[in-house]
Amino acid sequence: MAGLKTIISLSFVLAIGFLLVILSAALFKNYLTLLVVATYVVAPLPNWICGRAANPDDFMESSGSGVIDFGRFLTGFFVVMGIALPALLYHSGDITAAAMTMSVVGGLLIYGTIITFTLFFQEEQEF
Amino acid sequence: MSSHRLFRFPKPAWINSANTRTAGVYLAGALFSLGFYTMIDLSVWSKSRLNYTDPSIHVTFIDWIPSICSALGMLVINSIDKSRLSADSFSYSGNGVAWKARLVLFLGFALLAGGLAGSVTVLVLKYVTRDVMFPALWMGVGNVVANAMVMLSSAVLWVAQNMEDEYTYNLAL
Repeated sequence: MAGLKTIISLSFVLAIGFLLVILSAALFKNYLTLLVVATYVVAPLPNWICGRAANPDDFMESSGSGVIDFGRFLTGFFVVMGIALPALLYHSGDITAAAMTMSVVGGLLIYGTIITFTLFFQEEQEF
Repeated sequence: MSSHRLFRFPKPAWINSANTRTAGVYLAGALFSLGFYTMIDLSVWSKSRLNYTDPSIHVTFIDWIPSICSALGMLVINSIDKSRLSADSFSYSGNGVAWKARLVLFLGFALLAGGLAGSVTVLVLKYVTRDVMFPALWMGVGNVVANAMVMLSSAVLWVAQNMEDEYTYNLAL
């Protein structure tokens, strides 16, 4: 499934995302928007860690899903944080509207790439 | 099963699926994040150069107390195992577990409602009565919005966690 074309296009999208975020920081000499990259890189981590921490084979123990739920909660938290952080900085006048738009779009592209990539890898590991 | 229905429209099938539950948990995280960053936003705005209020009004610790209450209440509510609420009828669950669970749950809901009420109090006492106009009034309104978001988030999380029981067997087998 995950052919060469997919990998090439994904890396292309990832590069565009990084370009937008770095541009939004460097054009205005204000490097606060780089936090978006850190946010979206951290975002898939809680899901991954909590997925390992909970034992899916143990179906007598129903409380194991609490850990997974916590990981999902944190992921939802981080994804919105990536949008909320530029909006917050724009609202308090630290960055301009153009920088906000670029960093939000770039961050969403980066996160979409990470998610699509993990989806393809999971499908390969299953079989 | 279907003959015991009360309402004319059937319950849609997606309500009890695992995907809806997962989406609910993600949505709860997103809502909590919105509330949290609304709070951060208004305190950052308070110290920025856009805050021109003449007898200068800033966000102090008082503005944070309702949010702290709300977050604590959400933590308390959602750390309780929901199956313990009706556990007294079973013999293996010890005595009085459901009673304790209901007491702790009551404390959690009281903290949550107290947070929302406290934010309205801060809005009225600190901003409305001093005739603060809108760009600065956001420091009070945003407080109410943040607490409402946290409350909504814990409601969504509660509903999503209660969906669990129906399909757990499908997942396990």
